[in-house]
Amino acid sequence: MKMFSTQIIVPVDSNSVLQGALEVKHVLEEMIGAYNLASQVSVVETGALGIYDQGVVLAVFPDDVYYGGVKPVDVQEIVTEHLLKGRVVSRLVIDRNLSNRRLVEKETGKSQQKIVLRNAGLIDPQSIDEYIARDGYGALAKALAMQPGEVIQVLTDSKLQGRGGAGFPTGLKWGMVAKEQSDEKYIVCNADEGEPGTFKDRLILEGDPHSIVEAMTIAGYATGAHLGIVYVRGEYFMSIARMQKAIKDATEYGLLGDDVLGTGFKFDIEVYRGGGAYICGEEFALLESIENQRGEPRNKPPFPPQVGLFGKPTVVNNVETFANVPPILLNGSDWFKSFGTPTSAGTKVFSLSGDVVNRGIVEAPFGVTLRELIYDFGGGVKGGKRIGFIQTGGSAGTVLTDKYLDTPLDFASMKTSNVSIGSGVILVASEDVPLLPFLEEVAHFFWHESCGKCTPCREGTLQIKAIMEALVGRTADPDALSRLGRLLNTLSNTSFCGLGQAVPLAFESALRNFPEVFDRALAESHVPEACQEEA
Amino acid sequence: MGSDKIVQSAGKAGTLSEEDRAFLQDVVERDRAEHRGRVSYMDIMFELEHHYGNSLPGEVLGEVARLVGAPASQLNGFVTFYTMLSTKPRGRHVIRICTSGPCHVTGAPAIVTELKRLLGVELGETTSDGMFSLEASSCLGICGVSPALMIDDDAYGNLTPDDLPRILAAKRAGGAT
Repeated sequence: MKMFSTQIIVPVDSNSVLQGALEVKHVLEEMIGAYNLASQVSVVETGALGIYDQGVVLAVFPDDVYYGGVKPVDVQEIVTEHLLKGRVVSRLVIDRNLSNRRLVEKETGKSQQKIVLRNAGLIDPQSIDEYIARDGYGALAKALAMQPGEVIQVLTDSKLQGRGGAGFPTGLKWGMVAKEQSDEKYIVCNADEGEPGTFKDRLILEGDPHSIVEAMTIAGYATGAHLGIVYVRGEYFMSIARMQKAIKDATEYGLLGDDVLGTGFKFDIEVYRGGGAYICGEEFALLESIENQRGEPRNKPPFPPQVGLFGKPTVVNNVETFANVPPILLNGSDWFKSFGTPTSAGTKVFSLSGDVVNRGIVEAPFGVTLRELIYDFGGGVKGGKRIGFIQTGGSAGTVLTDKYLDTPLDFASMKTSNVSIGSGVILVASEDVPLLPFLEEVAHFFWHESCGKCTPCREGTLQIKAIMEALVGRTADPDALSRLGRLLNTLSNTSFCGLGQAVPLAFESALRNFPEVFDRALAESHVPEACQEEA
Repeated sequence: MGSDKIVQSAGKAGTLSEEDRAFLQDVVERDRAEHRGRVSYMDIMFELEHHYGNSLPGEVLGEVARLVGAPASQLNGFVTFYTMLSTKPRGRHVIRICTSGPCHVTGAPAIVTELKRLLGVELGETTSDGMFSLEASSCLGICGVSPALMIDDDAYGNLTPDDLPRILAAKRAGGAT
């Protein structure tokens, strides 16, 4: 094995590629060749560091120096000054604490914990050897030496809950599938990440695809399933490619296939693609889509653990949920429970977007506050402006004022403080962003994404959109707000599936937290003359 | 997912060349092998859309329905449900501009306005030279560099209206060959 004295890490993911990461890497490799450094310096492509507002980032180890905003023309200086002469190019140095390796490290003592993102940005996601070198597939080997029931018990004890938004206990779900008597069972990974503002699953799939392969295989062993399906968003080209490569490599290494690790256990994984339908994040709609149907939800019960894919017992878990499984098996349930809050064990991966200085992905223990996420990691609002509003949990989430900055975020925060955590979206809008046009866009989104199966959601989203358009255009009639209230009530109580039931969250919370904005729009409204009798 | 997409029904299976038929059979069989005897309509439709210029002609859907042993109506129902698929003819390049929350907050409305002006079309329309179709998209999952759009398989981020002429010109030049 070659020993390199210096290693340069280039994070390459869908976000950084857009900023020129591949060009920088290419020039860097050429320069290293030109200066005869190829035997001493290795350039390693990794998954995302989770930070995007510093342009292309290079990290030089063991020097622990982070360069940001690197352009191809800067590369020669880094090579001749830093690599040849050992002089750090100070004009390009960025605060390495911005790397999500050290997120949210602050006086409160709640240092950042990387469980889900343990490998992202550290290893080459396309190298199975690097994954194995970081304890990869160790949890699978450990699980295969246990009884399936023992594996499920560890997960149950860990109190791991689903990270897709609903928070269902993972161990319980696996246990339900395990006890079903069926010759066919399925493990499905929901990678149809579509909640606006969520880009964490993309980072996991692009940065650490083997963790999903390993976790799904463990789930297969624990529940008696032999086929796993990863349903990935159709637009996630890099995620699909990296997942497919991970499956291929794992099969070649005997970690998937007819005889996993020589134990006689059979498990395979296939990739299916989504077609740009938000509803397919709903588990039954997703299963329908895999079955070549329109993505429309099914009646519940029965639930997927009893009657799921192709009518067979099925585990459906989110990408982030799966990514938690190998570390829990390796380190034990007590270790996992040592992070988070009494109601919510472990960490949550948050997607921070909008008008913050540092947009990106943050993994922090449950109990972290919006203030910590937005100011400590996010660096505050761009241009030193004030917060206008914050949307948490996604479009199907709550719209908040800055009064909520110190609310601890966990699975209980919706019940206790009306703060939705959902898929972990933290979208910050500065005081310059008007609220009503934003809500009009949210209404448009749900109208477009409603599958049309049930009347409350299909017609209700259309009516909500019309009311929001009228409020924005100042043409709302005096009854508009009370009609909106009745519509929201109808949607949350009578919609067929979670999509329609969750639509009201954004509007109800906005009405509660920003009543003056709605009242002003109504007061300034006048019904267009064409609609008036006397005109 | 609007019903306006249904402009060509699947089922007219008479107008395909032998070459087309052989190609379609090959696509379906390859997919069947990949999915252990099952097929994924989505995989097949993505490949066909790419092959037939970003849309799915009715006679192609009819032949695929025959090959997979499904009613043409089911296939038609499938392709008209999913936003990424289209039975309506589209331009050589499909522009998907994200209008969801994070892009909205960071400037998507101005990007949409400028794209409409530069291309002379509304959302959902195709330029008269057949080069670009402009579509609004839900979140593309690249919110770290919003506002963002995709043209075909390529994503562009941190956009300002001033970036758009250059991006369109590069696509136009690349796509003309």
